[in-house]
Amino acid sequence: MIRFDNVSYSTNGIKIINDVSFELKKGDFTALIGANGAGKSTLARLCNGLLKPCRGAVNVGGFDTALVRTSRIAKFTGFLFQNPDRQICKNRVRDEIRFSLECVMEDRAEIEMRCERTLKEFSLDGERDPFSMSRGERQRLVLASILATEPELLLLDEPTTGLDYRECMHIMECISSINRKGATVLMISHDMEIVQDFAREVMVLNDGELLAHGSTKVIIRNEPLLASASLLPPQITELALRLGEGYENVVTVDDMVSAVKKKRGGAE
Amino acid sequence: MGGFLDYSPGDSFLHRLNPLAKIFLSLMLCVSCFVTDSSVFCLMIILLNIAMAAVAGISSRALAMLRTLIKFCAFLFLIQIFFIKEGSILLSLPFNIYVTDKGFMFSLMMVLRLIGATLPLALMLSITKMNDLSNVLVGRMGIPYKYAFSLTTAIRFIPVFTAEMAGIIEAQTARGVAFDTKNIFKKIGLIFPLCVPLLITSVRKIEGAAISAELRGFNCRKRESGYKSYPFRTADIGVSIFALTLAAAGAFVPF
Repeated sequence: MIRFDNVSYSTNGIKIINDVSFELKKGDFTALIGANGAGKSTLARLCNGLLKPCRGAVNVGGFDTALVRTSRIAKFTGFLFQNPDRQICKNRVRDEIRFSLECVMEDRAEIEMRCERTLKEFSLDGERDPFSMSRGERQRLVLASILATEPELLLLDEPTTGLDYRECMHIMECISSINRKGATVLMISHDMEIVQDFAREVMVLNDGELLAHGSTKVIIRNEPLLASASLLPPQITELALRLGEGYENVVTVDDMVSAVKKKRGGAE
Repeated sequence: MGGFLDYSPGDSFLHRLNPLAKIFLSLMLCVSCFVTDSSVFCLMIILLNIAMAAVAGISSRALAMLRTLIKFCAFLFLIQIFFIKEGSILLSLPFNIYVTDKGFMFSLMMVLRLIGATLPLALMLSITKMNDLSNVLVGRMGIPYKYAFSLTTAIRFIPVFTAEMAGIIEAQTARGVAFDTKNIFKKIGLIFPLCVPLLITSVRKIEGAAISAELRGFNCRKRESGYKSYPFRTADIGVSIFALTLAAAGAFVPF
C-alpha cells in the first residue's frame, strides 16, 4: 500500500527525513512514534503527496507521489490532522460530511446514502453547527467525514490528543473498525497505551531516521530503543520488564493478571 | 526562514536605529514614490530598499518578497494597460484592443509605486520588534496604548493567519479539494469556502489573545508603564534628514 525507497526530505537546508525505507501492506495497522521534531508529521505528509520527496521515491496505492497530484491520491486516502478546525469548512454537520464525499465521488444518490449512514454510525446531529461542538466532537466529525469516503489508506496525526478517555476510545474503535474492513492505517501517536492496544506494528523515528520497524509486542519492550526516541514503554510493560522472568509475554492488563495468577498458583 | 513581516533579529545599523526613525524613513520612502513622476526615481527607491535589506542581512527575504510583488504587479499591469485609451497607440491588437503610450507609462508608474511603497514598510516591520514599535508609539508619540497595541497585534497576526491559511489549504487538499489544479480561476473559486474555517480560527485566536491580555492587566497600562527608553541619537537624526531629502528630491527630480 505504501512503499518508501530511500526517501529524504529537506526544507530550508534542514534535513527532516533521512534515507527512510519501509513498506506497509494492505490491512496493516502501524503506529509511528518518536520524540517531538523527529519528522513524524513530515513523513505522514510524504505519504499522501502533500510533500514531495527530495530524494528517493514514495509509492502509495501504485502511484508515485512525485508524479501524481495530491487531490488524486486523496481519492483513496484519508488524512486526519491534529487540528480538526482546519478540515471543517461547512456550517452544518451534514454539509461537512457531504462535502467530503463530493470531493471523491459524483453519484448523488450514493453520496446521500453514505452521508445518512455516517450520521447514524457516529451518532451525529446533521443540523448542528460544527463550530459549536466540543473539540472531541469536532474531531469525531472530521473522522466521520473521512471514514464516509471509505479510504483504503488512513493517515492519522495524533488523533487522540486532547481528548478524554471516552472520546479517545470511541475514535480508536472507529479506526479499528475500518482497519478490520481492510484499510491500512498509519497512526502518529505519543500515547504508548493507545499504540500498545491498537497497533500491530510500530515504526520508531528519531531525527528523521527510521530506528526500528517491527511488531508492537517486541518494540515496546525494547527500553533502550524507546529511550533513544525519548519515549517510555506503557506502564504495564514497564512493570512486566521490572518483574522479569515469567512476565515476558505481558502486553495488556489481562496478560498481567494471568501471569500474576500463574505465578501465585505456582508458588502455592 | 520566516515570512517577510516576521521580526528578523540582528545588530545592523538599521536594526539599531530608533523605531521612530525607522517609521519615518519607511514613510518618507513611500511618500517619495508617490510624489515623483519619474519611473527611474521609483526604480532607484526599489533598489535602495534592496540595498537596505542587504545591510540588515535580510536580502534573500527582500528578494523573495520582490518576486511575489512582481508577479502580482504583472497581473495588475496587464489589466491596467488595456483600460487607458488616451495617448498615441503603441500596439494594436484584435477586437479593438490597443496599448497607448500614456497607458503604458501610467501602468508602469502604478506598479513601480506599489512595489516602492510596499517594500520599505515590510522592511521596517522585519527589523523592528513589535514591542519596541508599540512602546515608541505610546511613549514618544502619545498614541493611547489600546490603539498602539491593536496596530501592532494586527501586524503580528498577518504571518500567523498566512500560516493558518496554508494549513487549511493543506488539510483541504488532503481530503481531495483540487487546490493543486493548474487552473488559476478554479483555484480562486475553491478558496472562498475556506474563509469559514479561517474566520473561525482567527476569531478564536483573537478572543484568546484578548482574554490573555486582560488577565495580564492590559487596562492598567499607562504611557509611563514602559520601562525602556528610546533615545533619538545622531544616527537617527541623520537618517531622518536623508529620508526627508529623498522625499523632497522625489518631487523635483528632473528625469
